[in-house]
Amino acid sequence: MDRMSVIGKHVRKVDGLELVTGQAKFSGDYRFPGMVYGAVKRAGVPAGRITKIDVEPARKVPGVVDVLTAKDIPGPNLIGVLPPFDQPLLAADEIRYAGESVVLVVAETAAAARRAADAVSLSIEPVEPILTLDQALAPDARKIHENGNVTLSKKLIKGEVKPAFESADVVVERTYETSFQEHGYLEPETVCAIPGRRFTLYASCQSPFHIRGHVAANLSVPASRVQVVQASTGGSFGGKDDVATEIGALACIAAQRLNRPVMIAHERKESIVGSNLRHAARIEIETGAMNDGRIVARRIRVLLDGGAYASESPFVTMKTLIHAVGPYHIDHVEVESTSVYTNKTYCGAFRGFGVPQVTFASESQIDELAEKLGIDPLEIRRINGLKAGDPNATGQVYEQSVGLLETIATIADQPAPPKPAETDRYLYGTGYASLAQGISNGAEGVDVTGASVQMSQDGSVLVGIGLTELGQGSRTVWSQIASEVLGVGMESVSVRLVDTDAVHDSGPTVASRSTTVGGMAVYKAATEVRKSLVSMAALMFQTEEENIELREGFAILKMDDSARIPIPNVATAAYWTGFPLMNLAFSKAPDANFDDETHQGDIYIAYNYGTHRMDVRVDRLTGEVKVLHHVAAHDVGRVINPLGLEGQIEGAALMGFGFAHMEKIRYVDGIIQNANFADYALPSIKDRIPTATLAVEDPNPTGPFGAKGAGEPPVAATAAAFANAVADAVGHRFTRLPITREDILEAIRGRNDG
Amino acid sequence: MRIQFRCNGADVQVEVEPDTRVIDLLREHLGLTGTKEGCGRGECGACTILLDGVPVNACLLLAGKIADREIVTIEGVAGADGSLHPIQEAFLDVGAVQCGFCTPGMILSAKALLDENRTPGVEEVEEALSGNLCRCTGYGKIVDGVLEASRRLTEEPDRGGE
Repeated sequence: MDRMSVIGKHVRKVDGLELVTGQAKFSGDYRFPGMVYGAVKRAGVPAGRITKIDVEPARKVPGVVDVLTAKDIPGPNLIGVLPPFDQPLLAADEIRYAGESVVLVVAETAAAARRAADAVSLSIEPVEPILTLDQALAPDARKIHENGNVTLSKKLIKGEVKPAFESADVVVERTYETSFQEHGYLEPETVCAIPGRRFTLYASCQSPFHIRGHVAANLSVPASRVQVVQASTGGSFGGKDDVATEIGALACIAAQRLNRPVMIAHERKESIVGSNLRHAARIEIETGAMNDGRIVARRIRVLLDGGAYASESPFVTMKTLIHAVGPYHIDHVEVESTSVYTNKTYCGAFRGFGVPQVTFASESQIDELAEKLGIDPLEIRRINGLKAGDPNATGQVYEQSVGLLETIATIADQPAPPKPAETDRYLYGTGYASLAQGISNGAEGVDVTGASVQMSQDGSVLVGIGLTELGQGSRTVWSQIASEVLGVGMESVSVRLVDTDAVHDSGPTVASRSTTVGGMAVYKAATEVRKSLVSMAALMFQTEEENIELREGFAILKMDDSARIPIPNVATAAYWTGFPLMNLAFSKAPDANFDDETHQGDIYIAYNYGTHRMDVRVDRLTGEVKVLHHVAAHDVGRVINPLGLEGQIEGAALMGFGFAHMEKIRYVDGIIQNANFADYALPSIKDRIPTATLAVEDPNPTGPFGAKGAGEPPVAATAAAFANAVADAVGHRFTRLPITREDILEAIRGRNDG
Repeated sequence: MRIQFRCNGADVQVEVEPDTRVIDLLREHLGLTGTKEGCGRGECGACTILLDGVPVNACLLLAGKIADREIVTIEGVAGADGSLHPIQEAFLDVGAVQCGFCTPGMILSAKALLDENRTPGVEEVEEALSGNLCRCTGYGKIVDGVLEASRRLTEEPDRGGE
């Protein structure tokens, strides 16, 4: 299949029409007769013990039909990602963060439910909240959970760092910190539950099967009695997982009690205080190198503030452990990564999954090292960058699809604007960052996706897969893959809604795995259907199967391009001949195989490699940073959809820019102060940065047509390149993200004073 | 109270409470759910509609304010025959849509701009869309989409005209 019809081609998003016309149905757009609305009362204090819940004022609000507390949950009243689950749907006794749900009120209108929830009177005996990493890890600290305040702590050990550091010509050492970040998807979390012997839940969500499991457990019914349908979902970025299980289960439980449909729609404030954030991190990092620039050792300690519940903290711990070293060939490495509980909003999955935090620290230090050694920053990355055949931090060796050096060369070859001279007003700087980000679940869990491909007699194709479209364009990618394999046009391919009754459990839609693992399952299923078409066409042409190709909507004789049978005719004949036109195929990544003590072994099926360059102008008077130039080179294996790839890189880049410069959750005494879009600064169109995508294609043997995922990595690389560019401009190494205007002004003042 | 107004070219009469927000009037009373609520405080622009051609946040507007006036929602942007407006076509062609939740508001803000100024510059586009947040795209392709729509409207002035 060298000649591609749709792979790598500019195609429209297959589900775009409904979105530009307002016809797409998001969860909040569903209406059912008799539907009522739920709203929760939140704790309002970060730590304490519930002594009394007075729901009577809520019951008196006109329109209220039900009030639920923890004792009304039929099942275990627990959700989470990994057993033992630790997060209640409604707090029963102990309060562990201020945004915690305590009482659910259901009313005839959303406004009445909100008013009534506000009217609930909670008596909470406060205890001293644990709000910092140091407080949580103090030897005599109060235990937030029975098992203590450490969620998970893991080590990665490769070689022997101690002698390696002793042999190093130079050693650089520093501690870096990053702040909490809010997903900020435009659609707040919303679900709509329909009761019956079987329950149907329409949900704005990322992992419908995960929700189904928790809804069933908390309803105390078998999973087969719960149907979760993913509605159009207005962005997720990792954020609509735990919270969707929370409100999904609550809505179903209320629907069961009332025998009426129940909608729960979060307000924006709730979406910030009551749903997971990106982990804040503290990263102590030390690098030893020789005078020629070769890095001989790295020692890194990562501490993650995971907030009140485990959520995805264990996986983020693993991801940071494996990624902290960066995309470099270093023989001696020691990393320790630890996530801890605090009395703050819980942290979990967020695009990049810990990699943005550690990449900022790692890449800042690479620049410091380059400066100390007098080596060009791009050159030091080239000297140490991983190549095919090199063992990475976990000792895993890839013989193919290690395109890091090509991304560095691509960036080096780009014509860049000449650096203007400093003026009284402006400073100018250039920053680089490289990274490798593991694709798919890897060490985080088993990785299986099931996809079905079904061709009708008219030659049209229906693809079913249990992974979700969240705006990232996966449905378009899967359609392209099916279209290419089956030789039919894109207009002939549709992708089912994700309905747990109708598609296979494909695991969560995370870890940049939809194109790679999901796409591979679609590829396999389509290939099986293709075999039937080819067999049938060979019978019809009375020739051998190897003489047949499928493209442009026809079965074509290879030796005579004019000998064509329309695919619908072939499909109809195949149907009547009894050749199967449907297949359910599985794509299973090889099991991760590593030592649990050292994390040496094979972890991911592939890595995305990237290098960015950013040029900035810093205003000395205001601290404002203007990004003048930003090029993002990523080895994506093979581009399936150029428009989609650019969209992912540009969107992730601005999210990384927000993380690095603008976005900061402001806590005072454990209470978030800026839970709205006026005070929490999401980048607006005026903050946009001029990201240019440069695709490097080093085909990945484990992905469809050689593709690798790309949705997450640019967040980390953009944030790190920004920090390095601003450091270059200002002449000061910043150790904390975000680097706000105020931080920059302070550094400039310091420079002037010094 | 009973109010009447023009909505997407049709006369509408409804009975509403005086404190009903226009976003609720549209979504709950008229079934026009294309107008989205992202924040309820006028901070995100997802609920943007046109009021006598001017973009406004439907979450901040009380129903009485639209009495005897004309509004356009996303449902009224495409032609009656289903043909897309050049802004909608351009958004699809350049990849300006990802999750699509901000898209209705973006398209209406863009329409207000292009109805007034067929050939805006980049900064005018940024100014016109500065009240509409998007978390998916990084905005570059949204700006491209508006500029592409501007080109198409200039080349085919009959389309999408008021």
